[in-house]
Amino acid sequence: MELSQGKLGAAEVQGAWVAAAWVRRLASLKLTLSVFALLGAAVIYSYSTAGSTGWLMAVPLLVGGLNLGAAVLTNPVFRRQTALLTFHLALLALVVLAAAGRLTYLKGQLELAEGEVFTGQLAQVETGPWHRLQLESAQFVNDGFSIRYEKGVRRAETRNAVRWLDEAGHEQRAVIGDNEPLVRQGYRFYTSFNKGFAPVFVWHPADGSAPRRGSIHLPAYPIHEYRQALDWTLPGTQVALWTMLQFDEVLLDPKQVSQFRLPERHTLVVRVGEMRQELAPGARLSLPQGVLVYERLSTWMGYTVFYDWTLPWLFVACVLAVASLARHFWNRCAAQPWDR
Amino acid sequence: MMTAELQLLWLALMLYTLAGSTAIGSTVLARRPERIILALMIVGLAAHAASLGLRWERLGHGPFITLFEILSSNVWSLLVIYALAYWRVPAVRPAAMVVMPVLFIMMAWLLVTSPAAGHFPPTYRTVWLYVHMLFGKIFLGAVLVSVGVAGLILLRHAGLAAASLARLPADDRLENLACRFIMTGFIFENLMLVAGAIWAQDAWGRFWAWDPLETWAFATWLMLAFFIHLRVTVRLEPRHSAALIMAVFVLAFLTFFGVPFVSTAPHKGAV
Repeated sequence: MELSQGKLGAAEVQGAWVAAAWVRRLASLKLTLSVFALLGAAVIYSYSTAGSTGWLMAVPLLVGGLNLGAAVLTNPVFRRQTALLTFHLALLALVVLAAAGRLTYLKGQLELAEGEVFTGQLAQVETGPWHRLQLESAQFVNDGFSIRYEKGVRRAETRNAVRWLDEAGHEQRAVIGDNEPLVRQGYRFYTSFNKGFAPVFVWHPADGSAPRRGSIHLPAYPIHEYRQALDWTLPGTQVALWTMLQFDEVLLDPKQVSQFRLPERHTLVVRVGEMRQELAPGARLSLPQGVLVYERLSTWMGYTVFYDWTLPWLFVACVLAVASLARHFWNRCAAQPWDR
Repeated sequence: MMTAELQLLWLALMLYTLAGSTAIGSTVLARRPERIILALMIVGLAAHAASLGLRWERLGHGPFITLFEILSSNVWSLLVIYALAYWRVPAVRPAAMVVMPVLFIMMAWLLVTSPAAGHFPPTYRTVWLYVHMLFGKIFLGAVLVSVGVAGLILLRHAGLAAASLARLPADDRLENLACRFIMTGFIFENLMLVAGAIWAQDAWGRFWAWDPLETWAFATWLMLAFFIHLRVTVRLEPRHSAALIMAVFVLAFLTFFGVPFVSTAPHKGAV
């Protein structure tokens, strides 16, 4: 570091030298080795321990970031070897981006019946402290799915038709599933292995208010094949219902390739208190609070949603890091033949 | 078709064993039947490739699922990389003393593994599977060659095959060669991790989740980074450097072949 005695006072010069000495100390390669060892220990500890241990890795990453920053400033090797400098700067960018991603990410789960619009409501959500929820702007409609099963009821391709309105108000359609998410406003929606049957009802309240149409999501199928029942409450009432789907068909035959489909014939068993009734599509259940009409059987699909604005930047940093690392090694190895 | 697959595999393994035994014997006895060894390896690789191709054709997917498939395809890819190094870098040829026994262990393991087919998950139907696997195989292959050269340094220090190993380049030159291969491996490990992260993002909605395989792959990356920095921080003796390269390989080997078959959730959501 070059300092001009003429422009700075003696105390300031001394302070600057002390600071420079600290930066050089912080740039030590021995500290780098300690950071690697600490990070390794933190990773193994986090792996073997349940619970949140993110902070444990944040500490060595922070020290490593400072160490790397100080090394870039003070180590002359980085000025002589541009590829090495680029690699380390890309690595630093990766750490910063990963931290920014953790502060602003969103991970969630949702379920949509066929024909239902996603309006921003999540069944489960986990976010970074700085995430600003804008999910309501990521609306889309689940237009139904098809899933093929191989012998032994082993899930193969999932295809889920979705549609949405773009910024110009034009309807867009896509088929998502497996390796193809729906990306809306930066939110990435993925089909999950969770899906099942959704009986659709219309509830006509006795007080004359407007009828309400909706569905219940029975437990995931086929994973809960023998537990296709659900307890739920009629909207706007305290009436608790127990509902079970009954059918005799083998929908997914383990002996052959099959498709997820609705049963051809089924009944819905509804129990309210001591009353038990079997409903076919179109049947009505009269209660003192109103009339419940079982309309039809449909399906629901479970989605996971992920948001991380850093993804494209992480990709750029990774490409830059690997390309510059390869360039650096090439420069070093090309100077001498391998078969010397 | 399955019989032909297994017959070709057996033929390949016999040719590899013959090539390896000849290579080890000739190094110990200070003979140089290198063309014969390379020819045996190439014929073995061709038979093995035919076996893998027949299986791919029969099952409709590549050798990526079961332990049998992963061992078989890795024996093939590791030997391809070693054969390339054997052909292009003569100093690597005596490393067969170390490389071939490692491959013999994998071959023996392969022979006691069931060749039954596994389920090919829908998330594996992506080009990123091939990119990820290719980089991973080159990474492990480069590290194996490095281990072979590093092993020569350790064997020389242990006084084994002294007459033959005495004619090899000095330890520091061998160490330099071993480090070139391990640095090549490091580049491909980075590529493997990046390709895997892209695949994971599309397939499972997250690019990194610290599942067992990701954790141990990162631990391997850290160990490699530690080794490369240690080498420029302190002046390592070649035998210490060689020992560290061995440790990196052990960790990488356990990550590749141990974790996916020990953990019940190597890649969460993979199936």
